Amino acid sequence: MSKPKTKAKPTAGDAVRARKRKKLGFLAEMEYKRMILYPLVVFLVALILLAVNFPTLGIDLQGGVVVTAYGIDANPDELAKTLSAQLGVDVRVESFTSVDTSGIRVYAPVGTDPTEIIKILKHDYPNAEYTHSEVQPTFGKIAQQQGIRALVFAFLAMAVVVFLFFRNLVPSMTIIFSALSDMTIAVALMGLFGIELTTATIAALLMLIGYTVDSNILLTTKLLRRKEDSVDEAYLSAVSTGFTMSTTTLGALLVLWIISTSQTIDNIAIVLIFGLLADFMNTWVLNAGVLKWYLSSPARGGSE
Amino acid sequence: MKRRTRNLLLNWRIILLTLFLVGSVATLAFKPLTFGIDISGGVALVAQTEHPVDSDTMQLVVSSLQKRLNTLGLRDITVEAQGDQIVLIKVANVSTAEEANQIKSVIESQGVFYMEFSGTVFGTGEDVEYVGIYQIKPDNSWAVPFRISKGAAEKFAELAYGKKGWPVDMFLDPPVNSLMVVPDSVYRLMNSTDFNAEAPNAPTLMERIGQAFNVTVVAYANQSADEIAKLAEGKDKIVLVDVPQDLQTRLEGMNLTVRYVPRAPGESDHALIVRVLGLYGPYSLGEGLTVGEPQQDVQITGAAPDRLTAEQEASTIYTVLKSGSLPVKLNVVGMEFISPRLGENFRTQALYAGLAALIAVLLIVYFHYRNWRIAIPVASTSLFEVVIILGFASLINWNLDLPSIAGIIAAIGTGVDQQIVITDELLSGERSTRITRRASVLRRMGRAFFVIFASAATTIAAMSFLLVYFVGTLKGFAFTTILGVLIGILITRPAYAEIAKYLLGED
Repeated sequence: MSKPKTKAKPTAGDAVRARKRKKLGFLAEMEYKRMILYPLVVFLVALILLAVNFPTLGIDLQGGVVVTAYGIDANPDELAKTLSAQLGVDVRVESFTSVDTSGIRVYAPVGTDPTEIIKILKHDYPNAEYTHSEVQPTFGKIAQQQGIRALVFAFLAMAVVVFLFFRNLVPSMTIIFSALSDMTIAVALMGLFGIELTTATIAALLMLIGYTVDSNILLTTKLLRRKEDSVDEAYLSAVSTGFTMSTTTLGALLVLWIISTSQTIDNIAIVLIFGLLADFMNTWVLNAGVLKWYLSSPARGGSE
Repeated sequence: MKRRTRNLLLNWRIILLTLFLVGSVATLAFKPLTFGIDISGGVALVAQTEHPVDSDTMQLVVSSLQKRLNTLGLRDITVEAQGDQIVLIKVANVSTAEEANQIKSVIESQGVFYMEFSGTVFGTGEDVEYVGIYQIKPDNSWAVPFRISKGAAEKFAELAYGKKGWPVDMFLDPPVNSLMVVPDSVYRLMNSTDFNAEAPNAPTLMERIGQAFNVTVVAYANQSADEIAKLAEGKDKIVLVDVPQDLQTRLEGMNLTVRYVPRAPGESDHALIVRVLGLYGPYSLGEGLTVGEPQQDVQITGAAPDRLTAEQEASTIYTVLKSGSLPVKLNVVGMEFISPRLGENFRTQALYAGLAALIAVLLIVYFHYRNWRIAIPVASTSLFEVVIILGFASLINWNLDLPSIAGIIAAIGTGVDQQIVITDELLSGERSTRITRRASVLRRMGRAFFVIFASAATTIAAMSFLLVYFVGTLKGFAFTTILGVLIGILITRPAYAEIAKYLLGED
């Protein structure tokens, strides 16, 4: 750091940036009507998916018992049969593997004694490490209500702040709709991939509000406040920044997802990945399409 | 160049970052982080009160629970009220699932404590001001000294005047305002002088609980469910003791609250009565208390056949007295147990996952810009941010649980995003001429910080609702997210902007 070369100014190679812009050029050339249409179709598909296949609620939201055993390598179906027979209730067994351990999770209905399950498992797998949790339906209901309340309030708070910052109806509404669509698509994908709705994944959806608004604010700011460049130029510059932002975050989340064996962290990571992928479309296609249309309509901000 | 470097190092933003960084490292060195149950191992329980209570009552519940769990010899307990119905209990260093379940049953059995004499309640758990260490004498008699409130002592002195040897009863969670249906033999025993200590002419146990708790006892003689329901009119619940169980289903079918208590194998009538009523005693009233003088320092004494039984009896009373009374009944509605060994795994894993994510950020940022002079500052600023957040967490004794860690990840994620915004704004000035550059740097930074403040504001606004309204684990998530975002916009982001300007030759 002491002797930087004066001549070769340390910046990103122009070639690299030019290449990136070229790669993303197709987005800039897209017609705004289609840019608005496609994401709306995806949003509708997500809504339909939600209607037919809403993600199942985790035990922390609906009540139940789960016993997790680490260091077990077992056939989940056989284990489920044995356990159901011995306990007299229907249980579901899932196996999981990660970098350094493998294990199983046993899901049992409310009222089952987790220590009984552990006792049976310990008979065959004395060296495994066990954890268990149980939630009564009453508390599940409280958690559900609070989850919904938290999502609604957080969303409203976000909407108000966005309005305060932009004081402009169309751009603000677009940002808010993008965030809504991101969350909807993320939840739809959860249903599709069998990821449960839990307090942790609700946290992830809340995080999504923060993340998605970031890129949308960036885009809107650049397009509305940047007067020295053309709309396309500003858009390309925003998209290249946004692309860097999203891939960095996605990469970090992917690593987190691969390395962690904690279900909480895993689920948060995967839901954020879903949401960020949806956000990519909603920001750089939908939001951009609306803004382009808004800026080019003569009644509004003028064409350039 | 030298001057530029010095200017950078003397910039107040850089100095601020350095100060916070050094402070955090020092804090972490002297005050290790405390981890949540889900990371360090232990049991976390969520208990719900029977009905919503006011904040004073809630405070009472919290302190009583704390006392009771402490009495059990558990350490590292936190009891925390959330809202008007939820109590969160966390006990660290619990190593087996059985131990975890024991704690659960203690919390649930935590009942309401009454002291009763001659059919009048003269004190509750709130009147127990102090409990002394119990003593066991060589002849296996025992004594538990305790102090009761002035009000209770006065009331007692009045009631007990001249009643030497009369029975003093204590109850933990008796079936207040109920109808008890019991077998004939039990009925006769309750109505006899068997529970009268040394005073045959005192009211019987049945009379005493009838007067003190409005408990009506009837003998079971093949009454129909309808007849029993009629008797129970105006009562809160029906307690069926060792009678045919199909009565329970039928009465519950009439929408009545029923508690069914079967006789344990080999349980005597006496033991059954004691268990159903939550009765401790009766204790015979010593002469010293019968003279009408209020005495706050009293003791319960008893005798047992051997030392072990004496010890058990004395410690039970000790615990019951010491735990104080809960003004409302608690149900455990959720519990989570993580074995400490697993917790340790989680902790190292979280560390590896965090480091790996940081390296991923470094590599991806490098890949985008093909420039280490951008990638390294971005990644290290994120690292600094984590250090400062952790330093803060240890300073205020924040319990770092998995949701808190998720919150840190969220903060870092937005942090990296914002640094990229700054970097790109700086780089986008490359094409402009030297003359316009200085002015445009300011403008571009202004734009970058507009984006940063707007997104920080939305995140904070969204999360503060969580912090205020939510019960349970999401509080930690909201807290660390907000903390991270604040540290980001106040300390690390401005510093990064300075460093980036320096490194990219734009100052």
